[in-house]
Amino acid sequence: MNLYHNVKAQWLAYGVFFVLLALLPTFVSDSFLLNQFATYGVFGMLALSISLCWGFGGILNLGQGIPFGLGAYGMAMTMQMQTQDASNPIPPFMLNNSLDHLPLLWEPFRHTALGIALSLVVPTLFCAIFGGLMFRARVSGPFFAIMTLAMLSAWYTLILDIQPYTNGANGITPPSPLKLGDYAVDPYSPVAYWSVLALLLVATVGAKLMTLSRFGLVVQAVRGDAERVRFLGYSVAGYETTVYTIAGLIAAVAGCCWVVLTQYVSPAQFDTTFSLSMVIWAGIGGRLSLIGAIIGAFLIQGAQSYLGDTFLNTWLLVLGAFFILVVRFLPKGLAGLVESILGRLSVSSKGNGNDVAAHRLYPQPGE
Amino acid sequence: MSFFEIKHLCKSFDTIPVINDFSIEIVEQTLCCLVGPNGAGKTTTMDLITGRQKPTSGQILFCDDDITGLDEHEIARLGIGRKFQVPAVFRDLSVRQNLEVAYSRSTNPLKNIFRFREPGFSQQLDEIATQTGLTERLGVEAGILSHGETQWLEIGMVLMQDPRMLLLDEPVAGMTEAEIEKTVSIFRELKKTNTLVVVEHDMAFVREIADVVTVMHMGSLLAQGPISDIEANPRVREVYLGDEEG
Repeated sequence: MNLYHNVKAQWLAYGVFFVLLALLPTFVSDSFLLNQFATYGVFGMLALSISLCWGFGGILNLGQGIPFGLGAYGMAMTMQMQTQDASNPIPPFMLNNSLDHLPLLWEPFRHTALGIALSLVVPTLFCAIFGGLMFRARVSGPFFAIMTLAMLSAWYTLILDIQPYTNGANGITPPSPLKLGDYAVDPYSPVAYWSVLALLLVATVGAKLMTLSRFGLVVQAVRGDAERVRFLGYSVAGYETTVYTIAGLIAAVAGCCWVVLTQYVSPAQFDTTFSLSMVIWAGIGGRLSLIGAIIGAFLIQGAQSYLGDTFLNTWLLVLGAFFILVVRFLPKGLAGLVESILGRLSVSSKGNGNDVAAHRLYPQPGE
Repeated sequence: MSFFEIKHLCKSFDTIPVINDFSIEIVEQTLCCLVGPNGAGKTTTMDLITGRQKPTSGQILFCDDDITGLDEHEIARLGIGRKFQVPAVFRDLSVRQNLEVAYSRSTNPLKNIFRFREPGFSQQLDEIATQTGLTERLGVEAGILSHGETQWLEIGMVLMQDPRMLLLDEPVAGMTEAEIEKTVSIFRELKKTNTLVVVEHDMAFVREIADVVTVMHMGSLLAQGPISDIEANPRVREVYLGDEEG
């Protein structure tokens, strides 16, 4: 049997992957570089959420920037309010926009715990409501993808337009790091890196378990033939909404981490290019593999950081060309390449009659 | 009380009537064959019963519940299982996973996130895999099954649901003689505990299994009764068995 489909081997691969990532700060002493690697962890979460939604659920989501951006703005508002006090009650940019008191929208973010909770709840609720409305109306496939894209543009415009509340195109730049109680999270410290990694680990393990559960099985059946699933007694809209919402929650967590690491948020987080690149990460890494998608994000963002300077404006063309090649020759992405290599190995090492059957065995969910 | 009843069912697409004042009653633990020429409205009737389409007017009663206009999954949960004309299985899942999805005792998405094993599943799986002859093929991807095996798998999926009434659209299409014989014996066994409605063109097969034959023509009921009566009915011969007229 192909090692790739062995669930135990998959867990082992996850273990090795995360242990290696956890050891990274012992080799990297440059705190700027460590901060950059931590942001890759954020991108990994986003790719993971796309893999869950698109790879397993078959729901192409071009608007994952919405929950990411909403989470990021919530966290930025929370961090901004931590630096305000009685003598200086409202953020400076509001004064420039001739506001003389804190708008109601900002009030809850004066409390750190409530602010963080809202940063997660609001995007999740948004996904549940938007997804619920769409899926109940049986909007699916490319139509849903277009709706997410339209919704993303709407949010982008909205955030840009309500300048007194969001500082428009300039975005929000909280002047000091996130404080949890008396502890300030230094974004350049190994602790910040490990925290992001721990969240990525939790999200990955949770997502993996989900794909192995009955829920994951039904979601994969919906991807194959939604119509048929209805006649087995499952509410397809319920399953689609749930998987879309969970992906949204992961993206919201990523958004919060992003702001903690960069101390900056702007409408660029709602930019279509950014949401599309999340899909490209998952596509190149392998959307049917959670870990493949994460690695895809690392590779592409890593390459962008180092090769992007060399290629400058042509980088997007290089990325586009690479994406086309992957779609054409490796529809399951790099993870699919690993799958077929391991498949070849298991066939040649055994060389008995069972190989044909083994070759036809269905890829297990989750990888 | 009646087990299953359709009352004055009508369905039109735009202004074109497809089902026209169609009424039947189905008795529990019988096998009813629904026959009729192409375009008689057999598959549309199935669609209306299972909620895939909503009737223009009329009523569908199942165990005294009015199921008219309910959604597909609600009707399925009440105990009506359906096998499609073109076998609809999940091609990229294994045979075992197909049957696992069909074993739909728990349907709540949030609860199913935390559910990995379904109580009673493996016993049911063994039973139905043996019954449908798929025991050797459980690990295989459903997309590579032969046409006959795909038919078996879909019948197996309907059985996994353990419905009180089974609607089977052309279950023996593309099967060999031996496979048809096996189907006949399974259906006879099923009839002892379940109620079956079978749409079928193969008259030899219908003769083998049907308790009652219902003939549809132009969206209406043409005749109903035991196969011998139906075959002797001059109206039926005219529109359906037709050849003697010519």
